[in-house]
Amino acid sequence: MSTLEELTALSRNPVNPAVNEWKAEGKKVVGFLCTQVPEEILYAADILPVRLRAPDCADTTSADVYMSHLNCTFMRSCLQYMFEGKFDFLDGFVCTNSCDHTRRLYDILREALDYPYVHLFSIPHKVGDEEVTLWHRGEITRFKESVEAAFRVEVTEARLREAIGVYNETRGLLRELYELRKRASPPISGAEALSVVLAGSSLPKDRYNQMLRKLLDELSQREGISNYRARLMIAGSGGCDNPDYLGVMEELGGLVVTDSLCFGSRYFWEPVDTAGDLMLNLARSYLNRPSCANMTDRVVERGDFVKQMVRDFGVDGVVFQSIRYCDLWGGQLLYIEKDLKESDIPLLSLEREYMMGGVGQLRTRVQAFLEKIEG
Amino acid sequence: MMEEKKSVLEQVAESLVIYNGALSVAGGEETRAAGWLLDLLTGYFAEAGKAKAKGKPLAWINFAVPSEIFWAMDMVPIVVEVVNGLITPFGPNAMKYIDVAEKYIPSYLCSSTKVLIGAMLSGDITKPDVLAVPSHPCDSNVAMYSVASKRFDFPYFCIDMPYLRSEQGTEYMAGELKRLVKFLEEKTNRKLDLDRLRQTMEYSNLAHEYYLKISKLREAVPCPDSSLDILGEYPAVLCMSGRSELVDYLKKRYEMTKEKVDRGKSGSSSIKEKFRLVWIYGAPAFDLFTFAWLEQEYGAVSVSSMMSNFVMKPVEDISDYDKIMMGLAKKLTLMPMARECGGPWEHFIDATIDLCRRSKADAAMFGGHVACKANWAIMKLVKDRIREELGIPTLVLELDVFDPRVMSSDALRAQFDDFFATVLRK
Repeated sequence: MSTLEELTALSRNPVNPAVNEWKAEGKKVVGFLCTQVPEEILYAADILPVRLRAPDCADTTSADVYMSHLNCTFMRSCLQYMFEGKFDFLDGFVCTNSCDHTRRLYDILREALDYPYVHLFSIPHKVGDEEVTLWHRGEITRFKESVEAAFRVEVTEARLREAIGVYNETRGLLRELYELRKRASPPISGAEALSVVLAGSSLPKDRYNQMLRKLLDELSQREGISNYRARLMIAGSGGCDNPDYLGVMEELGGLVVTDSLCFGSRYFWEPVDTAGDLMLNLARSYLNRPSCANMTDRVVERGDFVKQMVRDFGVDGVVFQSIRYCDLWGGQLLYIEKDLKESDIPLLSLEREYMMGGVGQLRTRVQAFLEKIEG
Repeated sequence: MMEEKKSVLEQVAESLVIYNGALSVAGGEETRAAGWLLDLLTGYFAEAGKAKAKGKPLAWINFAVPSEIFWAMDMVPIVVEVVNGLITPFGPNAMKYIDVAEKYIPSYLCSSTKVLIGAMLSGDITKPDVLAVPSHPCDSNVAMYSVASKRFDFPYFCIDMPYLRSEQGTEYMAGELKRLVKFLEEKTNRKLDLDRLRQTMEYSNLAHEYYLKISKLREAVPCPDSSLDILGEYPAVLCMSGRSELVDYLKKRYEMTKEKVDRGKSGSSSIKEKFRLVWIYGAPAFDLFTFAWLEQEYGAVSVSSMMSNFVMKPVEDISDYDKIMMGLAKKLTLMPMARECGGPWEHFIDATIDLCRRSKADAAMFGGHVACKANWAIMKLVKDRIREELGIPTLVLELDVFDPRVMSSDALRAQFDDFFATVLRK
């Protein structure tokens, strides 16, 4: 089995053999949903951070008892997995106030489920001022103290520096992977690249780094993909973690060469400085990475990041997808549509549910978009 | 013939005229306080309409932002939700704005922001000199104002609010309010004068004290004020905190309510209070006459709402700038709706149980605004807890506070008919 196949298999489910091995050693696993959680704190405490997803969720009957049809299907699917016991391997959960759906999971978890550790990691909704950075440093410190108290561990500066180093290596390796996608004939498809990033969301990063190094070696020998009609970029909502979704576009001749997703580039784009005050460095890095739509003072920068990606990766058109009821990303369209139009960048806006569905409609829209790009 | 294009503020003025007309038809002693309230709002919007001509900057804010800061800087604050609440019941423009906005953004975003954005896209609104909103209580608020400020190019300030309440968090927010003042000074070329801020805070505190006393009186059985009296005051309190006119209104209102309680009188002599309803979340702002219909049809008086639940203390210490900002930061955290919706669900349920208990509620009304995803996600927790702790039912209504096309007045009243026929029989 090639490393790419191995990583693809690992990406299919948040529970994988690596997680089981970790648990078998008597070590703890903590789940989280949002990439704004500084995983390095958990990793430095010898706790495996696992980003939650519910890739095979087919219905949300149990979750719907608590959440409404007006809540996004990504969150309802994750909640469904919790009720079905699929996250019972977790020793705790870190919630955030990233969006209205995510933050309410914190409430439902505490009222209706029984995880031994639940922490709310509060994130600001703007980046610009130094005072915000300092406040965020305080939040990260409170998170560290909470982990230390709950799991009776000490996150020493040395351990934290080491964890940041491991994570920075992941970031660097994934950037190398993305570099390959800039080629005229990239050696990896968009669906495959997404699988590679997803695999890392539930693997110990040192092990993941080894696999990434092997993957990069293997890809250097792989023949590039050249029979595509257009180079695409995927932007928009979180919860875009289904390689098959990109696969539909690629079956039609679009090649996804980059993204601005939190399951993609935004997860690893920004390294953390390892010199000086590490907590402050974490705060700076997490706030200054290409942002989620929940950061109010980064509207222009989000647009600029998309345009920069378009230039760097030779993108012909941007597919902006948002999960229904995602106000944060849905609202961005008011700006991004105008911004990309002014730069003559074709845009396809798609609304979707977390579960794969409406493939026929998706195919029609993408086909029309590709034809528009081809002129 | 082409219809004359009217600005949003002109549409508000027209709505107030319609409300005034309805009051004149009803007439009588029992509409006296509503007349005062309408006069107050009419005066305020007239001032807003003339602000530009007088060189006063217009600041658009949301319901949680302390209007005192703007009044103290000789600006005119306009609360987005208040404007929406006034223009959506009458005339087709507000619906047109929603439709225009939905060409650019998904329909599931909040109609409150959609009205503003649609009006901007239609050119029916002057760009604000500044727009300031907190980072609570919802995604639509977080997403849309910042994006609109870039699309339409006007200055925007987000008051960042920590998700969990703490003394440290309040200090951080006080810092945010100071940064807001600095931002306003830069954008409007005017300085905040401490003496004027103190004077504004004195008015704000006086109004607040009267409001607390009135709220206490309204706990009486029967309720001394009508549903419309109670629900209608929210806009004035939001827009005019810090103005002497609000103090005058609330003083008169207090004296009238006290006199009625002393005499054991109810809000309306034509109805006998049978049920006491508490609106624990949104309410149909698009049809305020439904509240009068509930009184007439079922003797169901809306004795309080989340929006009228101003239980926090006034800003106690106004001796210096730092203390005022700390006081306003606390107030911001505890403003109705910001308090309930802007943090863990305990904020919602604790305030709601307390309100229902004090109001001696027979039923809770969850007027679930379809865009408020965060509240829909805890609706089950809320109604279960209300049942457990208070033994009263919750009617859950899926509506849009401003847009009657989601649930019409007829559909709304049909739901009430069912509720009174089955759940709340007396």
